[in-house]
Amino acid sequence: MAGNLKDKEAYQRLNYLHQAAHCVLAQNTSNDALARFYSFTQRTIAKRLVLRQDPSVKRTLCKKCCSLLIPGVTATCRQRRKGRRTRFTVVRCLSCGQTKSFLNDPGHCLWVDKPEAQLENQVQPGERSYLIILSSVITASREVGAAEASLC
Amino acid sequence: MWVNLFVALILENKSKKEAEAFAHAFIAGSMKGTRAGSAEETLARKAVVLEYSREKQLGRSRRRSSKRRSQCGKPLSAGEKRRLKVFDIKPEHQRYELFLPLHDLWKQYIMSICNGLRPGSSPQLVQQKLLKADFHGAILTVVRSKCPSYVGTTGILVQEFKHIFKLITKEDRLKVIPKNNSVFAVEVNGFVSHIYGSKFEYRASERSAKKFKVKGSIDL
Ligand SMILES: [Zn+2]
Repeated sequence: MAGNLKDKEAYQRLNYLHQAAHCVLAQNTSNDALARFYSFTQRTIAKRLVLRQDPSVKRTLCKKCCSLLIPGVTATCRQRRKGRRTRFTVVRCLSCGQTKSFLNDPGHCLWVDKPEAQLENQVQPGERSYLIILSSVITASREVGAAEASLC
Repeated sequence: MWVNLFVALILENKSKKEAEAFAHAFIAGSMKGTRAGSAEETLARKAVVLEYSREKQLGRSRRRSSKRRSQCGKPLSAGEKRRLKVFDIKPEHQRYELFLPLHDLWKQYIMSICNGLRPGSSPQLVQQKLLKADFHGAILTVVRSKCPSYVGTTGILVQEFKHIFKLITKEDRLKVIPKNNSVFAVEVNGFVSHIYGSKFEYRASERSAKKFKVKGSIDL
Protein backbone atom coordinates (compact mmCIF):
# COMPACT_ATOMS: atom_id res chain seq x y z
CA MET A 1 0.00 0.00 0.00
CA ALA A 2 1.08 3.56 -0.57
CA GLY A 3 3.37 4.72 2.18
CA ASN A 4 2.92 8.46 2.30
CA LEU A 5 -0.23 9.19 0.43
CA LYS A 6 -1.34 12.68 1.35
CA ASP A 7 -5.07 12.23 1.77
CA LYS A 8 -4.98 8.67 2.92
CA GLU A 9 -7.75 9.13 5.48
CA ALA A 10 -10.00 10.77 2.96
CA TYR A 11 -9.41 7.97 0.49
CA GLN A 12 -10.16 5.44 3.19
CA ARG A 13 -13.36 7.28 3.93
CA LEU A 14 -14.39 7.29 0.27
CA ASN A 15 -13.61 3.61 0.11
CA TYR A 16 -15.69 2.91 3.18
CA LEU A 17 -18.65 4.87 1.86
CA HIS A 18 -18.52 3.04 -1.43
CA GLN A 19 -18.43 -0.30 0.35
CA ALA A 20 -21.24 0.80 2.67
CA ALA A 21 -23.43 1.59 -0.31
CA HIS A 22 -22.74 -1.88 -1.70
CA CYS A 23 -23.39 -3.43 1.69
CA VAL A 24 -26.74 -1.71 2.11
CA LEU A 25 -27.87 -2.72 -1.36
CA ALA A 26 -26.78 -6.30 -0.79
CA GLN A 27 -29.03 -6.47 2.27
CA ASN A 28 -32.10 -5.29 0.45
CA THR A 29 -32.11 -4.39 -3.21
CA SER A 30 -34.93 -1.91 -2.87
CA ASN A 31 -33.20 0.16 -0.22
CA ASP A 32 -31.67 2.43 -2.82
CA ALA A 33 -32.30 5.59 -0.82
CA LEU A 34 -29.61 4.85 1.72
CA ALA A 35 -27.14 3.62 -0.88
CA ARG A 36 -27.76 6.84 -2.74
CA PHE A 37 -27.13 8.85 0.39
CA TYR A 38 -23.75 7.18 0.91
CA SER A 39 -22.76 7.60 -2.71
CA PHE A 40 -23.82 11.22 -2.54
CA THR A 41 -21.68 11.79 0.55
CA GLN A 42 -18.80 10.06 -1.16
CA ARG A 43 -19.06 12.30 -4.17
CA THR A 44 -19.38 15.46 -2.09
CA ILE A 45 -16.25 14.62 -0.12
CA ALA A 46 -14.33 13.94 -3.30
CA LYS A 47 -15.49 17.25 -4.73
CA ARG A 48 -14.70 19.17 -1.59
CA LEU A 49 -11.19 17.85 -1.20
CA VAL A 50 -10.58 17.78 -4.96
CA LEU A 51 -9.69 14.11 -5.00
CA ARG A 52 -9.84 12.25 -8.25
CA GLN A 53 -11.69 8.97 -8.11
CA ASP A 54 -10.74 6.05 -10.23
CA PRO A 55 -12.86 5.65 -13.39
CA SER A 56 -13.92 2.19 -12.30
CA VAL A 57 -15.53 3.74 -9.24
CA LYS A 58 -16.89 6.76 -11.05
CA ARG A 59 -18.60 4.63 -13.66
CA THR A 60 -20.71 2.92 -11.04
CA LEU A 61 -22.30 6.17 -9.87
CA CYS A 62 -25.20 7.89 -11.58
CA LYS A 63 -24.31 11.44 -12.56
CA LYS A 64 -27.77 12.74 -11.91
CA CYS A 65 -29.11 11.13 -8.77
CA CYS A 66 -25.89 9.60 -7.34
CA SER A 67 -27.33 6.07 -7.27
CA LEU A 68 -24.94 3.18 -7.19
CA LEU A 69 -25.32 1.49 -10.56
CA ILE A 70 -25.28 -2.29 -10.35
CA PRO A 71 -26.38 -3.99 -13.55
CA GLY A 72 -29.56 -5.95 -12.98
CA VAL A 73 -30.29 -4.39 -9.61
CA THR A 74 -30.26 -0.63 -9.95
CA ALA A 75 -29.34 -0.30 -13.60
CA THR A 76 -29.89 -1.99 -16.93
CA CYS A 77 -26.95 -2.75 -19.16
CA ARG A 78 -27.63 -2.98 -22.91
CA GLN A 79 -25.67 -3.13 -26.12
CA ARG A 80 -26.59 -0.47 -28.69
CA ARG A 81 -25.36 -0.03 -32.20
CA LYS A 82 -24.62 3.15 -34.10
CA GLY A 83 -23.62 2.75 -37.71
CA ARG A 84 -22.10 -0.51 -38.88
CA ARG A 85 -19.20 -0.99 -36.58
CA THR A 86 -19.54 1.15 -33.53
CA ARG A 87 -21.28 -0.40 -30.57
CA PHE A 88 -21.93 1.04 -27.17
CA THR A 89 -22.66 -0.34 -23.76
CA VAL A 90 -25.53 1.72 -22.42
CA VAL A 91 -26.08 1.73 -18.69
CA ARG A 92 -29.40 3.19 -17.62
CA CYS A 93 -30.08 4.21 -14.06
CA LEU A 94 -33.39 2.72 -12.98
CA SER A 95 -34.30 5.40 -10.49
CA CYS A 96 -33.92 8.47 -12.67
CA GLY A 97 -33.50 7.12 -16.19
CA GLN A 98 -30.15 8.78 -16.79
CA THR A 99 -27.96 6.87 -19.22
CA LYS A 100 -24.24 6.46 -19.55
CA SER A 101 -22.77 5.04 -22.72
CA PHE A 102 -19.37 3.55 -23.17
CA LEU A 103 -17.86 2.87 -26.56
CA ASN A 104 -16.86 -0.75 -26.98
CA ASP A 105 -13.29 -0.38 -28.06
CA PRO A 106 -10.84 -3.05 -27.06
CA GLY A 107 -7.92 -0.80 -27.90
CA HIS A 108 -9.12 2.01 -25.68
CA CYS A 109 -6.79 3.09 -22.93
CA LEU A 110 -7.92 5.21 -20.03
CA TRP A 111 -6.16 8.52 -19.60
CA VAL A 112 -4.97 7.60 -16.14
CA ASP A 113 -3.33 4.48 -17.56
CA LYS A 114 -1.34 6.44 -20.11
CA PRO A 115 2.23 7.26 -19.24
CA GLU A 116 1.94 10.98 -20.03
CA ALA A 117 -0.80 11.41 -17.42
CA GLN A 118 1.55 10.09 -14.78
CA LEU A 119 4.30 12.49 -15.76
CA GLU A 120 2.16 15.56 -16.11
CA ASN A 121 0.39 15.34 -12.78
CA GLN A 122 3.38 14.10 -10.82
CA VAL A 123 1.32 11.26 -9.48
CA GLN A 124 3.32 9.03 -7.21
CA PRO A 125 3.37 5.55 -8.66
CA GLY A 126 1.90 4.21 -5.44
CA GLU A 127 -1.26 6.21 -5.66
CA ARG A 128 -2.79 4.44 -8.59
CA SER A 129 -2.05 1.01 -7.21
CA TYR A 130 -3.64 2.06 -3.94
CA LEU A 131 -6.82 2.97 -5.75
CA ILE A 132 -6.81 -0.36 -7.52
CA ILE A 133 -6.61 -2.09 -4.19
CA LEU A 134 -9.58 -0.06 -3.04
CA SER A 135 -11.65 -1.03 -6.02
CA SER A 136 -10.67 -4.66 -5.82
CA VAL A 137 -12.01 -4.82 -2.29
CA ILE A 138 -15.50 -4.21 -3.54
CA THR A 139 -15.47 -6.70 -6.38
CA ALA A 140 -16.97 -9.33 -4.11
CA SER A 141 -20.18 -7.38 -3.82
CA ARG A 142 -20.07 -6.43 -7.45
CA GLU A 143 -20.17 -10.07 -8.45
CA VAL A 144 -23.67 -10.14 -7.02
CA GLY A 145 -24.76 -7.75 -9.70
CA ALA A 146 -22.91 -9.61 -12.40
CA ALA A 147 -24.59 -12.89 -11.53
CA GLU A 148 -27.99 -11.34 -11.87
CA ALA A 149 -27.18 -9.45 -14.99
CA SER A 150 -26.39 -12.71 -16.70
CA LEU A 151 -29.87 -13.94 -15.88
CA CYS A 152 -31.79 -10.97 -17.20
CA MET B 1 -36.38 -23.93 -7.79
CA TRP B 2 -36.29 -20.35 -9.01
CA VAL B 3 -35.38 -18.97 -5.67
CA ASN B 4 -32.90 -21.76 -5.06
CA LEU B 5 -31.28 -21.07 -8.39
CA PHE B 6 -30.84 -17.48 -7.38
CA VAL B 7 -29.50 -18.39 -4.00
CA ALA B 8 -26.95 -20.68 -5.57
CA LEU B 9 -25.94 -18.04 -8.04
CA ILE B 10 -25.67 -15.10 -5.76
CA LEU B 11 -23.64 -15.46 -2.66
CA GLU B 12 -21.37 -18.24 -1.62
CA ASN B 13 -19.92 -16.37 1.31
CA LYS B 14 -23.24 -15.31 2.79
CA SER B 15 -25.55 -17.25 5.00
CA LYS B 16 -28.41 -19.02 3.29
CA LYS B 17 -31.08 -17.00 5.04
CA GLU B 18 -29.61 -13.69 3.92
CA ALA B 19 -29.26 -14.91 0.36
CA GLU B 20 -32.85 -16.08 0.34
CA ALA B 21 -34.12 -12.75 1.61
CA PHE B 22 -32.09 -11.00 -1.06
CA ALA B 23 -33.45 -13.28 -3.79
CA HIS B 24 -37.04 -12.78 -2.69
CA ALA B 25 -36.67 -9.00 -2.65
CA PHE B 26 -35.01 -9.07 -6.05
CA ILE B 27 -37.69 -11.24 -7.65
CA ALA B 28 -40.48 -9.19 -6.15
CA GLY B 29 -38.86 -6.06 -7.57
CA SER B 30 -38.36 -7.57 -11.00
CA MET B 31 -41.87 -8.88 -11.59
CA LYS B 32 -44.09 -6.41 -13.28
CA GLY B 33 -47.75 -6.06 -12.47
CA THR B 34 -48.05 -8.77 -9.87
CA ARG B 35 -49.59 -8.25 -6.53
CA ALA B 36 -47.34 -8.31 -3.53
CA GLY B 37 -47.16 -11.80 -2.07
CA SER B 38 -48.38 -13.52 -5.20
CA ALA B 39 -44.91 -13.70 -6.68
CA GLU B 40 -44.35 -17.13 -5.19
CA GLU B 41 -47.53 -18.58 -6.69
CA THR B 42 -46.83 -17.18 -10.11
CA LEU B 43 -43.34 -18.55 -10.11
CA ALA B 44 -44.52 -21.96 -9.03
CA ARG B 45 -46.59 -22.48 -12.15
CA LYS B 46 -45.04 -20.93 -15.20
CA ALA B 47 -42.12 -19.12 -16.70
CA VAL B 48 -42.09 -15.39 -16.08
CA VAL B 49 -40.10 -12.78 -17.88
CA LEU B 50 -38.16 -10.83 -15.32
CA GLU B 51 -38.54 -7.16 -15.87
CA TYR B 52 -37.88 -4.16 -13.80
CA SER B 53 -40.61 -2.04 -12.33
CA ARG B 54 -40.52 0.60 -9.67
CA GLU B 55 -43.49 2.37 -8.19
CA LYS B 56 -42.15 5.81 -8.86
CA GLN B 57 -39.44 6.91 -11.23
CA LEU B 58 -37.37 9.80 -10.02
CA GLY B 59 -37.58 12.79 -12.26
CA ARG B 60 -39.60 10.97 -14.93
CA SER B 61 -43.10 12.06 -14.12
CA ARG B 62 -42.20 15.69 -14.00
CA ARG B 63 -43.23 18.40 -16.39
CA ARG B 64 -42.08 18.42 -19.95
CA SER B 65 -39.68 21.34 -19.76
CA SER B 66 -37.44 19.31 -17.52
CA LYS B 67 -36.84 16.76 -20.24
CA ARG B 68 -33.86 18.55 -21.70
CA ARG B 69 -32.42 18.93 -18.27
CA SER B 70 -32.80 15.25 -17.52
CA GLN B 71 -30.89 14.33 -20.65
CA CYS B 72 -27.86 16.42 -19.95
CA GLY B 73 -27.35 14.79 -16.58
CA LYS B 74 -27.39 17.78 -14.32
CA PRO B 75 -27.48 16.73 -10.71
CA LEU B 76 -30.78 17.11 -8.95
CA SER B 77 -31.28 20.44 -7.28
CA ALA B 78 -32.04 20.68 -3.59
CA GLY B 79 -35.70 21.34 -4.28
CA GLU B 80 -35.97 18.33 -6.56
CA LYS B 81 -34.31 16.16 -3.97
CA ARG B 82 -36.79 17.26 -1.37
CA ARG B 83 -39.73 16.69 -3.67
CA LEU B 84 -38.62 13.24 -4.74
CA LYS B 85 -37.51 12.22 -1.24
CA VAL B 86 -34.32 10.67 -2.60
CA PHE B 87 -32.69 10.08 0.75
CA ASP B 88 -35.69 9.00 2.82
CA ILE B 89 -35.53 5.47 4.17
CA LYS B 90 -38.79 3.64 3.64
CA PRO B 91 -40.49 2.21 6.74
CA GLU B 92 -40.07 -1.39 5.58
CA HIS B 93 -36.29 -0.94 5.51
CA GLN B 94 -36.08 0.42 9.02
CA ARG B 95 -35.02 -2.87 10.53
CA TYR B 96 -32.12 -3.20 12.90
CA GLU B 97 -30.76 -6.48 11.56
CA LEU B 98 -30.48 -5.05 8.06
CA PHE B 99 -27.84 -2.67 9.35
CA LEU B 100 -25.74 -5.10 11.34
CA PRO B 101 -23.50 -5.93 8.34
CA LEU B 102 -22.96 -2.20 7.93
CA HIS B 103 -21.82 -1.99 11.52
CA ASP B 104 -19.36 -4.86 10.98
CA LEU B 105 -18.02 -3.06 7.95
CA TRP B 106 -17.66 0.10 9.98
CA LYS B 107 -15.68 -1.69 12.69
CA GLN B 108 -13.26 -2.99 10.07
CA TYR B 109 -12.96 0.51 8.66
CA ILE B 110 -12.14 2.04 12.03
CA MET B 111 -9.60 -0.71 12.68
CA SER B 112 -7.85 0.03 9.41
CA ILE B 113 -7.82 3.75 10.17
CA CYS B 114 -6.34 3.37 13.62
CA ASN B 115 -3.85 0.72 12.54
CA GLY B 116 -5.42 -2.03 14.60
CA LEU B 117 -6.26 0.11 17.65
CA ARG B 118 -3.95 -1.46 20.17
CA PRO B 119 -4.56 -0.64 23.83
CA GLY B 120 -1.28 1.25 23.96
CA SER B 121 -2.10 3.75 21.23
CA SER B 122 -2.53 7.27 22.50
CA PRO B 123 -6.12 8.54 22.87
CA GLN B 124 -5.29 11.86 21.23
CA LEU B 125 -4.12 10.15 18.08
CA VAL B 126 -7.17 7.93 17.85
CA GLN B 127 -9.44 10.90 18.43
CA GLN B 128 -7.69 12.85 15.72
CA LYS B 129 -8.40 9.99 13.34
CA LEU B 130 -11.99 9.61 14.49
CA LEU B 131 -12.60 13.29 13.90
CA LYS B 132 -12.05 12.86 10.19
CA ALA B 133 -13.61 9.42 10.00
CA ASP B 134 -17.03 8.47 8.81
CA PHE B 135 -19.62 7.56 11.39
CA HIS B 136 -22.26 5.90 9.22
CA GLY B 137 -22.71 2.45 10.69
CA ALA B 138 -21.38 3.29 14.14
CA ILE B 139 -23.33 2.48 17.27
CA LEU B 140 -24.01 5.75 19.05
CA THR B 141 -25.41 6.31 22.52
CA VAL B 142 -26.72 9.59 23.83
CA VAL B 143 -24.93 10.16 27.12
CA ARG B 144 -25.98 13.64 28.01
CA SER B 145 -28.55 15.96 26.58
CA LYS B 146 -30.50 19.02 27.49
CA CYS B 147 -33.60 17.04 26.69
CA PRO B 148 -33.63 14.13 29.14
CA SER B 149 -35.79 11.86 27.03
CA TYR B 150 -32.98 11.46 24.48
CA VAL B 151 -30.52 10.18 27.06
CA GLY B 152 -29.84 6.48 26.79
CA THR B 153 -30.94 6.10 23.20
CA THR B 154 -28.68 3.61 21.46
CA GLY B 155 -28.65 2.73 17.82
CA ILE B 156 -26.78 2.35 14.56
CA LEU B 157 -26.21 5.66 12.83
CA VAL B 158 -27.68 5.38 9.36
CA GLN B 159 -27.66 8.96 8.18
CA GLU B 160 -25.82 12.05 9.29
CA PHE B 161 -27.13 15.45 8.34
CA LYS B 162 -26.06 18.93 9.26
CA HIS B 163 -28.08 19.23 12.43
CA ILE B 164 -29.35 15.73 13.14
CA PHE B 165 -28.30 12.12 13.48
CA LYS B 166 -30.70 9.42 12.33
CA LEU B 167 -30.28 6.33 14.48
CA ILE B 168 -31.98 3.00 14.13
CA THR B 169 -32.62 1.36 17.48
CA LYS B 170 -32.83 -2.31 18.39
CA GLU B 171 -36.62 -1.92 18.49
CA ASP B 172 -36.54 -1.16 14.74
CA ARG B 173 -37.40 2.48 15.24
CA LEU B 174 -35.82 5.34 13.39
CA LYS B 175 -34.86 8.05 15.86
CA VAL B 176 -34.01 11.55 14.79
CA ILE B 177 -31.75 13.20 17.32
CA PRO B 178 -30.52 16.79 17.06
CA LYS B 179 -26.77 17.18 17.44
CA ASN B 180 -27.08 20.41 19.31
CA ASN B 181 -27.08 20.19 23.12
CA SER B 182 -26.27 16.49 23.20
CA VAL B 183 -23.20 14.39 23.92
CA PHE B 184 -22.81 11.10 22.09
CA ALA B 185 -20.63 8.16 22.98
CA VAL B 186 -19.14 5.95 20.32
CA GLU B 187 -17.54 2.67 21.31
CA VAL B 188 -14.83 0.98 19.29
CA ASN B 189 -13.35 -2.20 20.71
CA GLY B 190 -13.58 -1.03 24.30
CA PHE B 191 -12.36 2.45 23.45
CA VAL B 192 -15.15 4.90 24.26
CA SER B 193 -15.05 8.31 22.70
CA HIS B 194 -17.41 11.18 23.35
CA ILE B 195 -18.73 13.43 20.65
CA TYR B 196 -19.97 16.88 21.54
CA GLY B 197 -22.83 17.34 19.13
CA SER B 198 -22.79 21.12 19.33
CA LYS B 199 -19.24 21.19 17.93
CA PHE B 200 -20.14 18.64 15.30
CA GLU B 201 -22.81 20.52 13.44
CA TYR B 202 -21.51 20.01 9.95
CA ARG B 203 -22.65 17.89 7.09
CA ALA B 204 -21.02 14.50 6.88
CA SER B 205 -19.02 15.61 3.88
CA GLU B 206 -17.91 18.94 5.29
CA ARG B 207 -16.14 17.45 8.24
CA SER B 208 -13.39 15.83 6.21
CA ALA B 209 -12.13 19.20 5.05
CA LYS B 210 -12.68 20.95 8.37
CA LYS B 211 -10.00 21.93 10.83
CA PHE B 212 -10.91 21.43 14.46
CA LYS B 213 -9.38 23.40 17.28
CA VAL B 214 -8.31 21.93 20.55
CA LYS B 215 -10.31 23.30 23.44
CA GLY B 216 -10.03 22.81 27.14
CA SER B 217 -13.53 22.43 28.45
CA ILE B 218 -16.69 22.38 26.44
CA ASP B 219 -20.16 23.31 27.48
CA LEU B 220 -23.01 21.10 26.30
ZN1 LIG C 1 -29.82 8.08 -11.57
